[in-house]
Amino acid sequence: MILDIKERLGKTKYDIDKSYAHITVDDRICEKCPHNFCVMACPAQCYTMQDGKLNFQYEDCVECGTCSVACDQGSVKWNYPKAGKGVIYKYG
Amino acid sequence: MLKIAVMIKQVPDSQDISIDPVTKTLNRSMARNVVNPPDVNATEAAIQLKDKYGGEITVITMGPPMADTALLQLMGMGADSGILATDRVFAGADTWPTAFTLASVADYLGGFDVIFCGEETTDSSTGHVGPGIAEFLGCEQATYVHKVEYEDGHFIVNRDIEGAEETIKIGRPAVITITLNANEPRNPTLKRKIGAYKKGIRVVTNKELQLDPSCIGLKGSPTIVKDMKTVPDPVKNPTKLGVEEIDKLVSALVEKGVVK
Amino acid sequence: MPDYDAIVVGAGNAGSAAAITMASKGLSVLLVDRSDPPGAKNLSGGVLWGNDLAQILPKWQSEAPLERFIQDKKIGFLTDNSSIVIDFKTKIFEENKVGHTVLRSKFDPWLAKKAKEAGATVIPGITVESLATKDGKIVGVVESGDVITASVVILAEGINPRLAIEAGLREPLQDWEVSVGVKEIIKLSPQKIEDRFNLTSTSGMASEYILGNLQELNVGAFFYTNKDSISLGIVAPMEQLRANGVTHTYDIIEQFKEHPSIAPLIEGGTVAEYGAHMIPEGGMDMVPKLYGNGYMIVGDAAGFGFSNGLVLQGMNYAFLSGMLAGETAVEAKAKNDFSDNSLALYRQKLESSYVLKDLKTFKDIRKVTNNKNMYTTYPKMLEGILLEMLWERGQPKKKVRDILGSCAADLKMSKLKTATDFYYIYRRM
Repeated sequence: MILDIKERLGKTKYDIDKSYAHITVDDRICEKCPHNFCVMACPAQCYTMQDGKLNFQYEDCVECGTCSVACDQGSVKWNYPKAGKGVIYKYG
Repeated sequence: MLKIAVMIKQVPDSQDISIDPVTKTLNRSMARNVVNPPDVNATEAAIQLKDKYGGEITVITMGPPMADTALLQLMGMGADSGILATDRVFAGADTWPTAFTLASVADYLGGFDVIFCGEETTDSSTGHVGPGIAEFLGCEQATYVHKVEYEDGHFIVNRDIEGAEETIKIGRPAVITITLNANEPRNPTLKRKIGAYKKGIRVVTNKELQLDPSCIGLKGSPTIVKDMKTVPDPVKNPTKLGVEEIDKLVSALVEKGVVK
Repeated sequence: MPDYDAIVVGAGNAGSAAAITMASKGLSVLLVDRSDPPGAKNLSGGVLWGNDLAQILPKWQSEAPLERFIQDKKIGFLTDNSSIVIDFKTKIFEENKVGHTVLRSKFDPWLAKKAKEAGATVIPGITVESLATKDGKIVGVVESGDVITASVVILAEGINPRLAIEAGLREPLQDWEVSVGVKEIIKLSPQKIEDRFNLTSTSGMASEYILGNLQELNVGAFFYTNKDSISLGIVAPMEQLRANGVTHTYDIIEQFKEHPSIAPLIEGGTVAEYGAHMIPEGGMDMVPKLYGNGYMIVGDAAGFGFSNGLVLQGMNYAFLSGMLAGETAVEAKAKNDFSDNSLALYRQKLESSYVLKDLKTFKDIRKVTNNKNMYTTYPKMLEGILLEMLWERGQPKKKVRDILGSCAADLKMSKLKTATDFYYIYRRM
């Protein structure tokens, strides 16, 4: 019953907008971030640490907005996806 | 000014279709209705043609009344008007009466210089309807096209053929079927969508078309589905080894002494 | 002349309720939602209390896609080994059938359809990019460079209100204002659900827990029955996560699922969907100025929600605030005055409704939900008391007074500290 987050995200439906990232992060700011709280807070594992460097991908984002609050360094630029793209809940 | 039509279909989102583990039939109950994906590419191709050479685009579908949302979405992208051919007698059609009905609608509307279709639908994948419309209308056709230009009354199209690309010139009127991912469809805009909702969809029934009932819908469909089988997923089927299990296969072969 | 009397951004409960209220009174209304079908990107825990909805859609109980009516309401604490739960089952719930579990991707498109039937133009699949302003007034919305104008814009964009923040109508959200809600849908057959939770084919159960098994973290959890699935999840205050978080939010929910009292309830089920959503927790302090020249803010976007650790509500506040904003717009239209002064009526209406009354009554509730003892010490204390009282160990029995004393001592709590703490919790709850 306990599933890895990637497996759980695999159950959720998306229509990914390959031409538009609705969230962007500023690597120069993230490099100096004292806490990387986004990594713990993001429920969709969009933020991970790889070789001591923050890695961000928007494809698995469930559009909750948590990172827009979690990031207090001004790195995260948050917009909603366009044209109905992004997460599509079947249950909600 | 070109008179352009796009023939489209509303289909259940293929991502939402699962196979019922008990009945082994397709479960579409959770499926959201979307525009058949290559039909969106076909609409984009039509809009690009219009932008370059001028014209008017009519999107046409045959389907239930709820298919109007598909037309409205494409009008939101830039199509000028939407026609919904809907009638109980159209229901249950296979590809022959579908092509016949859509060709008749095109004819009824006064004909078009070019009719775009998607290469095939995701819910049946026959690719019959585009060529069928061309045959019923007696016009030229090009299938699996990803690029369209218009020159001196002719269309110059680039076709995908296995392992290569073919450039051909076809006359007018023409039916052109567009491949999935042939282009990057633009997003509908709020202003265009509002315009579409204000304008609404024109509904055409068989009262208007007066098509022979034996040529349309279920009655006009020569296809008989004899049987449907669910093929087991090779990855999940333990009797067969998937590509990921190549290591297992190799060690099994080593164990049996087949390879050393 | 503006294009519309009102533009509503967001087809959730608040937005659709506002659109229905206005369109049914003859206003020209544009309801725009970023999802197609409208409302299908929305997510909440899943219990809807429909008293307010009944005012605009009297037949909601028979028409809306509802899951199960709440017959059984449970609240409780979970510790590492135990669960301590109050199971409240009442005929009153059964007779009224006001609380229902819902799945928002089914419910919200239905509600948006009702807005369309009332006469609103409902446009799905469009994300409004910004608000159009002129002379310090909100005059419409902007999308793909086009401006669509309206006498009033109702912002129902939800808990992450990008438009309101960008236009300076509210401050960016702070840690203390939100919780992170993480949810899973677990598929389970209706038969299993009805057997396991002692339900009929239409009745349902809704449980809310305080998780006392996460050490320093104050986290709540919910567990609701749908027709053929379970909605379960956790609610983690952002402040708590930042200060004391040691686990990823996506792992906390799995810890809840693994709890010895939860795991058997979902045994045999399969995860059908995973999702997350922020929840307003800031109470009265997070409520922005709710109106101004040409705009009103409703629902989650305004911070309307209620949570005391054991009870979690938001959809009812969304309906009511949407309806009150709609009524205000109808009156503003009659006066042809959509100024700040005229729309102040919305605030007055909220003041005399339970929306702002509740937020004011419970203005100190965060002191309770932030009280660590609520999530660590007291669940353990309760567990200790119950073990002493209910577990025969062949030892001399103690009076409750002595049990309480020894449990408090074990947890390094003085009797005085416990008593004052209880007093404040009692006063604020």
